[in-house]
This record gives sequence, C-alpha cells and structure tokens, in this order.
Amino acid sequence: MTEQEIITTVNTALAEEFELDLDEMTPDVSLYEDLGLDSLDTVDMVIVLEGAFNFKIREEADVKEIRTLGDIHAFVAKKLAAES
Amino acid sequence: MTVYSLLHVIAMNIWVYSLLVLWTVIGVILSPLQIVFLRWRHQWPVDRAVRHIIWMYGRGWLVLISPFVSFRREGLSPDQLPERCVFVINHLSFFDTYFMAGLPHSDVTFAVRSWPFKMFWYRLFMRLANYLEVEDLSWQETTARGTEVLNHGGSVLFFPEGHRSRDGQIQRFYSGAFQLAVAAQCPVVPLCITGTDILLPPGRKSLRPCRVQLRILPPVAVDDYQHEGGHLALKKKVKSQMVEALKEMTDIPAEAAEMVSSC
Repeated sequence: MTEQEIITTVNTALAEEFELDLDEMTPDVSLYEDLGLDSLDTVDMVIVLEGAFNFKIREEADVKEIRTLGDIHAFVAKKLAAES
Repeated sequence: MTVYSLLHVIAMNIWVYSLLVLWTVIGVILSPLQIVFLRWRHQWPVDRAVRHIIWMYGRGWLVLISPFVSFRREGLSPDQLPERCVFVINHLSFFDTYFMAGLPHSDVTFAVRSWPFKMFWYRLFMRLANYLEVEDLSWQETTARGTEVLNHGGSVLFFPEGHRSRDGQIQRFYSGAFQLAVAAQCPVVPLCITGTDILLPPGRKSLRPCRVQLRILPPVAVDDYQHEGGHLALKKKVKSQMVEALKEMTDIPAEAAEMVSSC
C-alpha cells in the first residue's frame, strides 16, 4: 500500500465514522482541538482503523501518543511496514 | 414582527419566567416532604424518589407553558415502552430536558455534561438523582453507573450529539449511549423532538411561542450488535431512523407552517 493510499483509506474511514469534512483533514490537524474528537472517540477510532486495515492495534502503546491526523498516517504506515 | 406578536412574546416571557421561578422555589421547599412521602408510599430509595420529583417538576413546566406552547407526544404508547432502556434524543434547546416530563416513565437518569451542574438551584437534585456527569466521570465509571441504573429497572437518557444544534440539523453522534446499551443488553429507544429550537435556540434568552412535538420511535434491540464494533453499527442505524423521523416531523404542509409561524 502506498503512502497516498494509506492517507486516503485513513481519512475516508474516519470521515465516514465521525462525519468529518474530508477537505479539513490535513495531516497537521489535531484530532481533539480541531476535529472535536474525545477520549471515547479514540476507542472507536482504533476499531475503525482495525476494520479498515485488518490489523490489531488496541494493545499498541504508540496509539496513546497519537495527537494529529498525520500521527495516524505515520502510525499506520509503520504498522503495515512491520507486518509485511 | 407585528405589535400583537411582540406583546404576545413579552407576555409569554413574563409569564413563563416568573412562574418558572415560583414553581422552582415551591419545588425546592416542598421536596423534602415529597421525598419522605415517596419513600414511605413506594419504598423507593432517595435517588428514585428525586427522579420522580424532577419528572413532576417537568410536568408542572408543561402546564405553565401551555398557554403559549402546544406540546404533543406521539409514537410508542406507554405500554409499548420498555421499562429499562437507553433513550437517545436530538438536542435543540436548553429546555429539551424539561420536555422529558412528557415521557410516560419517571425513572429516567440523565447523562449530562458538567455545565448543568453549575446551576446551584438544580445541582443538589441532580446529584441526589444520581445523574451521570459524563465530562467528569471516566467512561468506565459512566458505564458502571449506567448499567447499575438499568439493572435496577430504570432508564438512562443521552443527548448523543453532546451539544445543542446551532442550525436545527442533527449533528454527529458520540457513541457512549450505544456502548452502554450493548454492554447492558438494553434496547435503545430513539426520541425525536422538534420546535424547541423556536422556543429557545442557543444564543437567545427570550422565549417564543411554538409547537413542540416529541416522537417516541420503536425500540431497537441490541442482540444483533454484540460483536466487536457493534455499537458503531447500532449508532448508525439509530441515527438514520432519527434523521428520517425528524425529516417527516419537520416536513409539514404549507398551511400548517403558516399557522406555526403566525402563533
């Protein structure tokens, strides 16, 4: 999966689940301050990403460090690279 | 706005706000006696008795606004409504909660944000009623306390949008209510309210006459949503039903719309 495909898949999955505007989903936006997600949404976000990429990430310590959309893209790319 | 409409609005605001203050003061003064009476009569614990008192207070609200606001409940009849369920409702106005007195059951625990607890005249009653302060509690605590309420035969009510809508349109749903329903294996009962955004939308202080409709939609069972991420699918299903119902409720014929705007 290319970097662009990862970005598109992440953004589409999150936009659908959290009813976000795709145009506002730039890598530097904060999930909490800009997109209005809360701690409970983080749990849902993990479920959505697991469904979109067919991997398990809920036990990963790095998930707690995610703050921006770009962090998610990087996290997913790293996870997919490690699995391949 | 015509002179008549303006006088009507002024009269409404004087009437409703002054009577609401009076009704609140009377309620606060009489509440200890009511709690004692309800505990003696029904053997209810304090929290259950206080929830009933709050419901009665809301009933009083429905009476005092009746000269200016026509309220109608429709949909599920009281005998079709499950005793224990998770209610979810769209949020348009500060006064949405007051109209929950239109529900047939009084044992409803509200899950609310922190700011309503800042109203000192309500705070004690909200605490005694064991309302869930979702911003202050961890989600584990909210689930545990919500499950306890449901296991005792009560219901929990959520505003899944989290905030009042600024444009009258239904907003994105948070998933807490649906997680609780799945975890406690309780049906979700969607409620749709219209008209309170005309009564008092966010950002305005003066009331306007209106028609308020509260529709109780059929319960949605959670049996098919016990799988991982099932609460997200449940959220989508419930929201789509509410969107459809709200569209139907607000899609009123032109002549009826004219009557609403002139009242």
